[in-house]
Amino acid sequence: MNITGIVRSKLFIIALLITLIAVIPGEVLASSQDPDQEGNFVVIGQLLDEQDQPVEEAVVTAVTQDGEQIVAETESLEDGTWRLLLIEVPSGEMQITIEHPRFNPQIVSLKVEELNDLDNIGLYRVGEIILNRDINAGFWAATLIFLGVLLLIAFEKLHSTTAALAGMSVVFIISYVGGVFDPGFFIFSFERGLSYINWEVIFLVMGMMIIVAIIEGTGIFQWMAFQAYRLSRGRNWLLILILIAITAVASALLDNFTTMLLMVPISLQIGLAVGINPLALIIPEILASNVGGISTLVGTPTNIIIGAHAKISFTDFLVNQTPGVIVALIALSAYILFHYRKEFFKESSAISPALYERLEENARLDDPQSLWKSGVVFILVIFGFILGESVHLSPAVPAIIGATALLIWLQPDVHKMIIAVDWTTLVFFMALFVVVGAIQEVGLLGLIATGMASVIGDNLPLGVFMVVFGVGTISVVVANIPLAAAMLPIVDFLTVLIPGADSKVLFYALSMGTAMGGNGTLIGGEANLVTAGITNQTSTPITFKEFLKVGLPVTYITLTIGFLWLLIKF
Amino acid sequence: MNTKILCLTRGGEGSYPNQDGAIAIAKERGQDIMFLYISNIEFLDHTAAPKVIDIETELDELGEFMLIMAQERASNAGVTAKTLVRRGFFREVLSDVIEENNFETVILGSSSGDTGIIDEDLLHEVTCEVHQKYEIEFIILFEGNILKTYQVETGAELEQEEGKDD
Repeated sequence: MNITGIVRSKLFIIALLITLIAVIPGEVLASSQDPDQEGNFVVIGQLLDEQDQPVEEAVVTAVTQDGEQIVAETESLEDGTWRLLLIEVPSGEMQITIEHPRFNPQIVSLKVEELNDLDNIGLYRVGEIILNRDINAGFWAATLIFLGVLLLIAFEKLHSTTAALAGMSVVFIISYVGGVFDPGFFIFSFERGLSYINWEVIFLVMGMMIIVAIIEGTGIFQWMAFQAYRLSRGRNWLLILILIAITAVASALLDNFTTMLLMVPISLQIGLAVGINPLALIIPEILASNVGGISTLVGTPTNIIIGAHAKISFTDFLVNQTPGVIVALIALSAYILFHYRKEFFKESSAISPALYERLEENARLDDPQSLWKSGVVFILVIFGFILGESVHLSPAVPAIIGATALLIWLQPDVHKMIIAVDWTTLVFFMALFVVVGAIQEVGLLGLIATGMASVIGDNLPLGVFMVVFGVGTISVVVANIPLAAAMLPIVDFLTVLIPGADSKVLFYALSMGTAMGGNGTLIGGEANLVTAGITNQTSTPITFKEFLKVGLPVTYITLTIGFLWLLIKF
Repeated sequence: MNTKILCLTRGGEGSYPNQDGAIAIAKERGQDIMFLYISNIEFLDHTAAPKVIDIETELDELGEFMLIMAQERASNAGVTAKTLVRRGFFREVLSDVIEENNFETVILGSSSGDTGIIDEDLLHEVTCEVHQKYEIEFIILFEGNILKTYQVETGAELEQEEGKDD
C-alpha cells in the first residue's frame, strides 16, 4: 500500500471512531435526559432565544422565596422544554432561576396564587421564556476560531480538513479548559458539538462518492467530450457549446468538482489538438459546472448541505432551479462566445494521425460492462430520490443502497473501495459542522440574522436579493462550503420571519448565491481550484487575472438571472 | 541506451519554444532526446470537495498526449525522441530518472515568464544539487534560448544573455 493508501486507511479509522463517538454519547445523553425522577407536582415551560430558537442545556432551578432551599432542578431539552418535578409545593412564593453560559440569567417568580393552582391541579405551565444573549468570552472565541478556519482555508495555510479539525479542537479546548477559569468561555459540550453534525449529509456524500467513483471509471464523460470534438468538425464555437452542455448535465448528476476532474484533462488535449487556447474551453467548463450543479440535490456539495438541512428534495431542486439554471447557462454561453470569439471563430488546425489515435485512446469507454450496470443503478438511485420524497425518506438512503448494490454487483476490491471514499472530505464536513455549530451556539449567526432581518423587514424580494447577491459576492472570495453551512441558521431565521419565505425561496437563493458566486474568482470554488491545479501541470495555467476577466462578469450575469427567476417562480 | 539528453516539459503552447530549443540542441549534437513529463497531485490537498476520481491516471494520459506532441515536433526536425511520464515531486523524480539512465545533459525551462510555476530559487537549488551529485550538464532555457548552463568540466555556472543562443 502506498503512502496515500496508508493515510486514507488511517483517516477511514478516524472517521469510524468519530462516528462511534458520535453515536455512543448520544445514547448516554438520551438516557441522562430522561432521569427516573419522582414528583407529585410538575412545572413546565420552554426556553427560546431572541430568534425563537429553543435553548438546550439551560439549568432550571426552583428555589424557595428566600433562595435558601432548592426545591427542584432540571435541564432544558433539545426543543427548549423543561420540566420541574416537585415533591411538595413550597409555602409562600417560589422562584425559578434559569442559567446558561451564553445567556443572561433570568428569574421567574411564581406567586402564591399560581402555586395554589399547582397544588390543586398538580401542573403549572410557565410558558415560553425568552432568554437574552450574553456576548461573552465564548462568543468572541468562537467567532475568531471560525474566521481563523476560513482564513486558513482561503490562504491554503493548512489542508481544509486539517483547518476544520484544528478549529473544532480549539473550540473544545476553550470550552473545557477556558471554561474552568471563566464559565463564559464555555461554548458547548462535546456531545452538544457533535449534535451539530448533519449525518444525512455525511452518508449522502459517502454514498454518492462510491457511485461516482464507479461511474467515472467507465470513461463515459471523456468519451462524450471526444464525441463533442468529432461532432463539431472543426467548428470550435459548436465544440464549446456541446462541452458546456455536457459539463452542466454531468455536474447536475454527479457533482461539479468531480465533473471538472473528469473534463479538464481531456479538454486540454482537445484544445491543443484543434490549435486553440485550451483555457477557452476549460474556463467556460468551470463556470458551467458551478451553474449546472445548482439544478439538483447532488449537483454541488452546498446543495447537499442546504437540501439536507432545509429538507429540500431532489425534485424540489430540479423543478424550482432548473429553468433558471438553463437560462443562466444560455446567457453564460453567449458571453463566452463573445469573450473568446477570436479563439472560437478561427480555423482549427489539423491533427496528426498519432495525436488523433491517442486522443481516441484516452477517451475510450474503459469498461462498457460496468457502464451499463452503474447506469442502471444510478437511474434507480435517482428514482429512489424522487419516490422516497413521498415517504419522507432521506436521500442518503437510496444513495447508500445504490452504492452497496454496485459494490455487490461489480465487486471491486476493498482497497479500491477505501480509495473511492474520500474520507478527508467526510472528516472535513464533520469538523466544519462543529465549528459552524459553535458560532451558532454563541449567537453570532443569530446576531447576523437579526441585523439582516431589521434591514429586510417583511420585504421578501429584498430578502431574496440580499441572499443571492450578498452570499454570491462573499462566495467570490470565501470558500462556499463553510459559507453555506454558516448561512443555514441565518436563512432559517429569515424564513420564519419574512412573510412568504416559507416556500424555502431563501434556501434556493442561498444555493444560487454560493454556487454562482463561486465563479467570481479562481479561489471562489473547489472546482475552480482543482482545475487550476490540473492546468498548472501544463504550460497553459489559469491565472487569477485571466479567470477574473471571464468569471466576474459571468457571476453577476448569472446571479441576476437567478434572482429574477426566483422572483418569477416564487 | 543512446539517448543522452533529457528534457523536462509540461507540454502545451507555452512549452513549444523550449521544446524546440531542446530539439535544436539535440540535433546540433547529433543525439536523441527524451522528453519527461512529471505529474503531481499535491494541489488536491488544498481542496475540500470529494476526490473520488483516479486523477493520477487521467494526468498520466494527459502527459502522454503532451509528450506525443513534443515527439512530433522532434520528428519534424529530424530528431528521434522518446517519452517518459512520471508521478511525484520535481526534485525526487528528476534524481530518480537521472539515476536510472545515463544522461549527459538535462534541459529545463526557466521559471521566468507567464507560465512558469516552479519557484526560481527552488529551480536553482535543485539544479545545483543534481548537477553536483551526478556531474552532468544542465541547460536552462527561456523562450527557446539558453539562459544558463551548468558545465560538467569546470563546475562553473555560466550565465548568458537572454535571447543569445549558444
